[in-house]
Amino acid sequence: MTSKAQAGTALWAKMPKANAELFALTYGSLVTELVRDYEDPIEVNAQLDRIGHSIGVRCVDEFLSKADVAGMGLSTQCNNLRDTAEVVAKVGFKMFLGVTAEVGGFSQDQRSFSVYLQDNPLSTFVELPSESAQGGDDLRRLKYSQILCGVIRGALEQVNLKVECSIVRDTLKGDEVNEIRVDLKEVLADGAGDDYKEE
Amino acid sequence: MSRSAQSNTNLLDRPLGRSGGRVGGSSDATSVSLSAFAYVYSELVQYHQGRAASVSELERRLESAGYGVGLKVLELVAYRSKETKRETRLMSMLQFVSSSVWKSLFGKAADSLERSIDHADEFMIVDYEPITSTFVSVPQDLGQLSADAYVSGIIAGVLDGAGFSARVTAHSVDLEDGEYSKPNTTGMPPRKDKAVFLVKFSPEVLSRDAALDR
Repeated sequence: MTSKAQAGTALWAKMPKANAELFALTYGSLVTELVRDYEDPIEVNAQLDRIGHSIGVRCVDEFLSKADVAGMGLSTQCNNLRDTAEVVAKVGFKMFLGVTAEVGGFSQDQRSFSVYLQDNPLSTFVELPSESAQGGDDLRRLKYSQILCGVIRGALEQVNLKVECSIVRDTLKGDEVNEIRVDLKEVLADGAGDDYKEE
Repeated sequence: MSRSAQSNTNLLDRPLGRSGGRVGGSSDATSVSLSAFAYVYSELVQYHQGRAASVSELERRLESAGYGVGLKVLELVAYRSKETKRETRLMSMLQFVSSSVWKSLFGKAADSLERSIDHADEFMIVDYEPITSTFVSVPQDLGQLSADAYVSGIIAGVLDGAGFSARVTAHSVDLEDGEYSKPNTTGMPPRKDKAVFLVKFSPEVLSRDAALDR
């Protein structure tokens, strides 16, 4: 076990817990509400992404403070995207969802990678309509767990990494594993910007 | 047991697994962090808040979001329980909600179950630390909002699904001095209020129950 996986497990052990089924059902009621309100699955995906982003922006604070207390010294740990990816998957996912995520599939230029998720707590009790089902074709375009992409995007944005995320494989659609592709677009400039410079 | 291996099986053909009643074990695959739940729940509330014109409409929306969950929870808990009997009496149904259902959802039984003194058709389920309002502070302009309306929707769903139709509302009630002082597990300051879920049964449910007494 790597040190990051250990840190993730240690942090997870300290987190207060909630029932995973209640979590899954609650998320399900959010998604059904969105599907009812927006109808177009593409728009639902966009909404889920937006909601995830809003979570990501806030959960990164909790993540950094708790990881800091645990003495992980994250500022020294994330020197490159490979480290960042590992922290997201092995510490972040473990700490909040209690699941183990793996990292892989780095591109040649080291600017994109994949997070592989064997267990997805969001998709318990979920079944998407199959293609053959009447009228079900539309919902095939629904990315049920798109919220995770938003969370990663929002969280990394707060640490100055502008990324694009998408779900490329989904167990709900018969794939063997859930795969989230993360693509680094830009490293944002540090600092508070011109507006906040001292006079 | 990975979920992925089952992805090609029809959802209804998959095993239901064990009840998620055990909370706290680190290797426990049936829990997520309370934070994760709180984030998602907060977004659910925000989403409905953006579409509701008033506090009571927001509560109603949360209740209806919980209602569907309640129906499913009833089925889950019923299938998993070892006994194959169905609750037919009003009191035992309430016991079932405040113990079995509560344990499977929140990892503990409800703190108390009380009968209203004034109204024979009203019962109260009390929870001192409902997870739906652990990290919630209600702003002044939303006054009477109870963020636990979602849970009252779940209760209504469970009761309705079992044939006990009832109107369930959530209220936060200020704690009296020394009423409850157990340290909480979330690292938050002690709560100043408790959640009271007021269950008001339909007249036909009460008359049926009275008929069973004879």
